[in-house]
Amino acid sequence: MLPLARPLAVALVSAGSLAFEILLIRIFAIEQFYHFAYMVVGVAMLGFGASGTVFTLIRQRRFIDPSPWFATSTTLTAVALLGVPLLVGQVDVDPTRLAWDPGQWLRLAVVYLLLALPFGLGALAVLSAIAAEPDRPGTIYGASFVGSGVGAALGIAILWTLEPVRALALPPALAALGAVCTTSWAKPGRMKIGIAAGVLVASIAGAIHPFRQLSILPYKALPQVSAFPDARRTAEHTSPSGWVVAVESPAFRHAPGLSLAYRGAFPQQTALFVDAELAGASTRWPDSSASAMLDWLPTSAPYAIGDRRSVLVIDAGGSLEVANAVAHRAVRVVALELQPALIDLTAPSVSDQGALGTGAEIEWISGDARGYISRTDDRFDLITMGPIGGGVVGAGMRSLSEDFLHTVDAYVRLLDRLNDGGVLAITGWTAVPPRTNLRVILTVVEALRRIAPKRIDRALLVTRSWGTVTTLVKPEGFTAEEIAAVSGWATARLFDIEWHPDLAAPLARFNLTDEPTIYEATSAALSSRDSAARFAATYPFDVRPATDARPYPQHFVGTRALSRLLGSSRGDWLPFAEWGFVALLATLAQSVLLAGIMLLLPAIAGAGRVGMRRLAPLVGYFGAIGFAYMAAEIAAIQQLTLLLGHPVYAVAAVLTALLVASGMGSAWSDRLPAALAFRVTGLLVLILATYGVVLLGVVHLFQPAPLALRFAAAMVMLAPVAVLMGMPFPLGLRTFASESTDRVAWAWAANGFASVVAAPLAALTALEYGSRVLFVAAAAAYLVAAVAHWRARAQTA
Amino acid sequence: MRLARSLTFLATLAMVAAVPLPGQAGPDNPTFRDRRQAMVDLIASRGVRDSATLAAMRAVLRHEFVLTEHRRRAYGDHPLPIEHGQTISQPYIVAYMTEILRLRPDMKVLEVGTGSAYQAAVLAALGVDVYTMEIFAPLAESARRRLARLGHRRVTVRHADGHFGWPDEAPFDAVIVTAAAGYIPPALIDQLRPGGRMVIPVGSVYGVQNLILVTKDAQGAVTTRHLIPVRFVPMLEGLR
Repeated sequence: MLPLARPLAVALVSAGSLAFEILLIRIFAIEQFYHFAYMVVGVAMLGFGASGTVFTLIRQRRFIDPSPWFATSTTLTAVALLGVPLLVGQVDVDPTRLAWDPGQWLRLAVVYLLLALPFGLGALAVLSAIAAEPDRPGTIYGASFVGSGVGAALGIAILWTLEPVRALALPPALAALGAVCTTSWAKPGRMKIGIAAGVLVASIAGAIHPFRQLSILPYKALPQVSAFPDARRTAEHTSPSGWVVAVESPAFRHAPGLSLAYRGAFPQQTALFVDAELAGASTRWPDSSASAMLDWLPTSAPYAIGDRRSVLVIDAGGSLEVANAVAHRAVRVVALELQPALIDLTAPSVSDQGALGTGAEIEWISGDARGYISRTDDRFDLITMGPIGGGVVGAGMRSLSEDFLHTVDAYVRLLDRLNDGGVLAITGWTAVPPRTNLRVILTVVEALRRIAPKRIDRALLVTRSWGTVTTLVKPEGFTAEEIAAVSGWATARLFDIEWHPDLAAPLARFNLTDEPTIYEATSAALSSRDSAARFAATYPFDVRPATDARPYPQHFVGTRALSRLLGSSRGDWLPFAEWGFVALLATLAQSVLLAGIMLLLPAIAGAGRVGMRRLAPLVGYFGAIGFAYMAAEIAAIQQLTLLLGHPVYAVAAVLTALLVASGMGSAWSDRLPAALAFRVTGLLVLILATYGVVLLGVVHLFQPAPLALRFAAAMVMLAPVAVLMGMPFPLGLRTFASESTDRVAWAWAANGFASVVAAPLAALTALEYGSRVLFVAAAAAYLVAAVAHWRARAQTA
Repeated sequence: MRLARSLTFLATLAMVAAVPLPGQAGPDNPTFRDRRQAMVDLIASRGVRDSATLAAMRAVLRHEFVLTEHRRRAYGDHPLPIEHGQTISQPYIVAYMTEILRLRPDMKVLEVGTGSAYQAAVLAALGVDVYTMEIFAPLAESARRRLARLGHRRVTVRHADGHFGWPDEAPFDAVIVTAAAGYIPPALIDQLRPGGRMVIPVGSVYGVQNLILVTKDAQGAVTTRHLIPVRFVPMLEGLR
């Protein structure tokens, strides 16, 4: 075999595995829900560590020549990447029935096992390659890193051109190419080459005619609306950031929070979906009678105090708010939307402005709002957002999603973009008990304190409909006339005024609640920082303001609320459950359990050969660097998402840069003495701890810069540390396991399991304590590794 | 602040069901009776106190309203899937919504979203006249047949779009909507008699909704009150 053949094969197999992971998450997110996708793929990744266990168990019984294992596992990886999606498609799992149908758990277990297979085989290929070439572990491991980085980029990039089910052809094709590199034309290798060629041909065929179709859970919005009378799909668009579909049906209507008193006509609408979830509607405005509806939406409250000539609409693609601004005589409307496809589908519907009102200048911008407000010099009479907290968000499924739009830092910048007399309007769906809107109020008041307006006591006005709360923020303070105007407007629509500066007591007339929580929250927030903190501390849910370091405005169930809910009667906690959070906990529990069992297996089966006491530093070292890598990666993705402005770009850039740079570091490490591992891990402790303190500030500094500069800054921040992060594994192998295949397998298993367990654990840490703490946790883990390395060398000495 | 009383996330109500139930040996048997009693006991323990509602829940044979393959689970306190992504809701939610309406015999009730007709049967068992609307023609038809076969004679089923209510039979003492709406249809409020009560899941159509009680006082003034969070299938508009 040529010297480069094995690293190339490793790179291709790793690329296939990572592309498979990305595509699987995309497909499960469309077919099921995001949290389910995360859980299933997260647990299946345990296959990585399992290969170490398998290798160790077999090695304990007989001698293994790693080379044929490498060739076979590479070929089988290609076969598994092709066949497993088809088999998984045959298993009908309905996660909504897991609560009461034990059979669903069995099916889920089958899915786990099936999905773990290609990851396990791919990892076995890398492990056997390392075992086959113990003198250059850095090169092999580096090839795996670089391949993974390229696979991540390809897995995301292919979604620009192919739907996810067609894109599934990519991973087996990559692995098949890897298999071809590993085998020779000599007789024993011919069959493997034949199989690899077969997989390659089948992959190409699968890209042309997909072997499986999307099987979307019938409870999701897309199948539901598709079942509407005369429904027809009018548009479809695929990209890495989502699968966008438009469905037209005369029966579909979308008017969040529409007044109970509205008796007028209803316009024709087209439903818009992202990943089969409702993302809003495109609305046709044939005449002014249909557009009259707009003034009966809760989001129209800011127009009650007078014309808003310049309006910034955030998340405009799925909302009615651009039309609302035009209908309320705005002269200029800037419409921001992250999904370009939603702009394409929405913009034409408001182009017929004659039916809506006067001809306004509308500027559609595809991009993130944080980036835009950091860069623009424009100011607005109204900035409007919402409604937030509804739909799937209401089900707590987005509780894990970073959202840099509803943080204190974001509100400070939004308030800064208002003209004199300008208003920031944030509408959110109500929940029982209130959560989203309480956090909005506490967050916006904290933002107001930072910009320190003269009349903070008069800066808030809160209205509530039967289903939504609209928080109006005017830093200059609301006048008595404005309060009267909004009150009159609200009363006519059966909306309540929950708070205004002159309100002496709660005043809910139309939409009754058991307790005046919003009044109490607003009152506490405006009184002082201390009283706001006291309110948040005593509220059953976590409603503390979100920040850029902990950007989870839809996460309310902290540990305190969780323990209280779980202590309640059977089923009572279910409506409050944040399914993303529950899935994260479930992933962690399952991962810890399965990883524990699979790590213990070889130990029980005969670890005496190695000596458990001597294994402790090895397991500690490789486990620590596995956790540290994942923690640093997740923290970096979170903070650089804010810098790069788009989660998909951030994931692509960070994963690719991190993995490729780590691969280079890993390959370079072959030229360094193994003893350097102590210094490298020590240096990482210092760098990551420093990142925890300063990186977010640097991100804020670069936010107004052009994308190219921000991207370059991200690479400068990431690449050097990633090069270092690629070194500890191969250096450690040479320190701990230079002449023992057993120990290589142990190192692999410990690192693999720690990496997989670290993913949900790091996500939980970020959720509860923020990305800064996560960087520090990564630094602490490298410290553990440094100590383990030092102890191992001391033992050797 | 009070955390809402007994709740359910997966509470969904049927808009679909109504396939023929083959192999019926008879409408009821001791096993189903025991399970039904256990179900009612559980509902009572979770806070439904109205004896008439509990008696109605005890009287209606829920296993006749679910798909054959789910019959043995018919009396579990959870929703069950039926066809086309629709579900029959959790018994507790059926009882809770029924109790909230404060019905008395001979009242007139409008139900939007017939589905398997289980909710309509429970309402009828309270001695009220039920006018139930179903958007899917085959479902409306099978519900009509099922109700007739089981002897629920005070239910009138109509294939129509529930968003416009049933003006010919209005006003109603109570309105119950058993499918999620993105907003509260004005026609349903109009058709509610002064002093009447309407219970409807509203909010975002496809996520968690809030079960809302709409009341109209003697002068016709309308107020709303959030009850509990639920999850319903969407209410379809337009005929199918």
